[in-house]
Amino acid sequence: MAGIELPEETKQQEERSGAPDVVVGVAGAVAAADLRARAEQVVADLGANAASLRIVFARPGGDDEPTAGGENQGGEQNGTGGHEKGHPTLVSYTAQASGGDLWSPISANQRAVLALAASLNARVCIVLGPDLAGLQAHVIQLFTYAILERQCGLAMPIYPVGKYDGLLNTGILSPLSRALYGKRVRYPLTFDFAASGAMCERLAHGDAVSEASGLLWPVTVAATQTPQAVVGQVHIDVRHQVATAGLELSAVLGQLGGSMFEDMVSCASQWQRVRGSQAAPVWGNEQVQEADAAPIDAQPMLDSFLLGSKNLDEVWRLLLPPNTMLELRRLTRLTPEQFRIPDDVWASIVYDFALAWRLRTISRVHLMGALTPLYLGWAASYVREVSSMTSAATEQRVEQFTRAWEEKKPYLLSRWRWPDRFNP
Amino acid sequence: MWGQVEQSLHESMSRVMNKIATLLPGILAFIVAFLFFLLVGWLLSVLVRGILNALKFDERMSRGGNAISEWTPRITPTLLVARIVFWFCVIAGVVVGASAFEAGTSELIVSGWILAYVPRVIGAAILLLAGNVLARFASRSVLITAVNLNLSYARLLSMGVRWMILVLTGAMVLDHLALGGEIVELGFGILFGGIVLALALAVGLGSRDLVSRSLEREAARPVEVPQPEKVHHF
Repeated sequence: MAGIELPEETKQQEERSGAPDVVVGVAGAVAAADLRARAEQVVADLGANAASLRIVFARPGGDDEPTAGGENQGGEQNGTGGHEKGHPTLVSYTAQASGGDLWSPISANQRAVLALAASLNARVCIVLGPDLAGLQAHVIQLFTYAILERQCGLAMPIYPVGKYDGLLNTGILSPLSRALYGKRVRYPLTFDFAASGAMCERLAHGDAVSEASGLLWPVTVAATQTPQAVVGQVHIDVRHQVATAGLELSAVLGQLGGSMFEDMVSCASQWQRVRGSQAAPVWGNEQVQEADAAPIDAQPMLDSFLLGSKNLDEVWRLLLPPNTMLELRRLTRLTPEQFRIPDDVWASIVYDFALAWRLRTISRVHLMGALTPLYLGWAASYVREVSSMTSAATEQRVEQFTRAWEEKKPYLLSRWRWPDRFNP
Repeated sequence: MWGQVEQSLHESMSRVMNKIATLLPGILAFIVAFLFFLLVGWLLSVLVRGILNALKFDERMSRGGNAISEWTPRITPTLLVARIVFWFCVIAGVVVGASAFEAGTSELIVSGWILAYVPRVIGAAILLLAGNVLARFASRSVLITAVNLNLSYARLLSMGVRWMILVLTGAMVLDHLALGGEIVELGFGILFGGIVLALALAVGLGSRDLVSRSLEREAARPVEVPQPEKVHHF
């Protein structure tokens, strides 16, 4: 759990100034000078909108450097008026040290930002990625609008990504989250999101359930703890650069997918009651993506799948029922042009792996390693299928794909409740 | 003549019956002691399981890495502790039963031999169990990692690791049981040394040209600028 250590002087200042309207927290290390410069720019860009709001900017402390404005640990005494409405206030927070995984430190910092916002009684908390790509006036405006004007408990972003980007999200995270918790959210795990004051407390402190997996899944917490809260989405023109060099796909799949499976175990009583899904209202202008002209070579991913099916048969047999194994064998006999993993087969494979995670059929590290070639097979199938589609057609295809997961949910429920009856 | 044979047979039969009659109390004492400890072991394991479940032992263990479930996923820490308690009682039952048998028959050899050999058997059983678990875990780890690294000989590598560990375990178990004497050590040394030598020869002689060509190719290859990937998984 993230800890918030505000200096006494800052606390007294906050008490004098009253609760801030918006807390904008950066969930990762960022130089104070950079944040100050960007924050002033954002406030200037917001213009009249910012004048009516008191905005506090937060960053993780501990590496403070002397700045022109003279920021101190925990508080801000800037030369433009400090706590006046329309001017940025900088504070720092302390996040608990977390593991060196891809997403754990980000989640720890996100929780710390939310805890800070809750302790300051902010009306809105906007959490942003450490690359500051999201620190733009239109992002702040849209998030604030969704929370304050449209009464959303949680606002998630929709990024303008290409059709070959974020395949792990498209293939597993988004459809699984939607099928389980009934919220049609395109990106359930993001660098940027916004929460209302009431939601901040829940997201920051949650309970053993939300912290079991280590990662913060805002949509899961919102859906399971405050089902009545509105979850909205905003189109934001932000492109994050994820440092993927040196990262193994199986390790990332293990962390993100494993975390989601762990949440499935913890929240089983809640998601088993959810039927269908609710649309999440969307605001902002959709950024039209230009179609990628160059064809993608999916053969390496297909080769990984074929190698896996040749060697991991004995492991998959422990996890998947016979009909799925038959289907996988049939797929290996197809030519690359014919190769397509049906949506329902892929959904049932992921559901079976989630069940195996719960039952500990094999070691969880092995489980996620065994899922990797299957995922690459799905990615090859998907990339080939959408390569000739326009962005709009791709979105429709993704929607159809995600619906298949919802339709397959009764299978998950049956297996989850009576695993022995369906034992392979 | 026939009378003498008949008398001799009667005497033999009576000696056998005497021997059985002498052994019976001992056997009965062994069975009673063994069954008693079996019952105690079962009761204790149920009790331990109940207490650990009440204390949420599995949940507490799973917070800190959960090494047991990673190695043997189907055995929970509670089950493992309960089984250890049960088997400890079973072994104690065998030892006490042997002592009771000895007391019942006035034969000193059996229980002395069992008491001396039981620790070796326990040690060997633990070695065998650990070796099997390790072999299964390591071979599966190698298989999955090799497949994810796109190595076409993943299965061969995995089988090699499994058999290396199993052979090593077998040799250790036999050595621990003091069976086979120096033959086991010698045989194991020859087998292991042979495998290493064969691999060294295969790489050193068989792949000499391949290695040199590969090195030449690497040296002559211009520095490649990595192409940006068009597919992004995350």
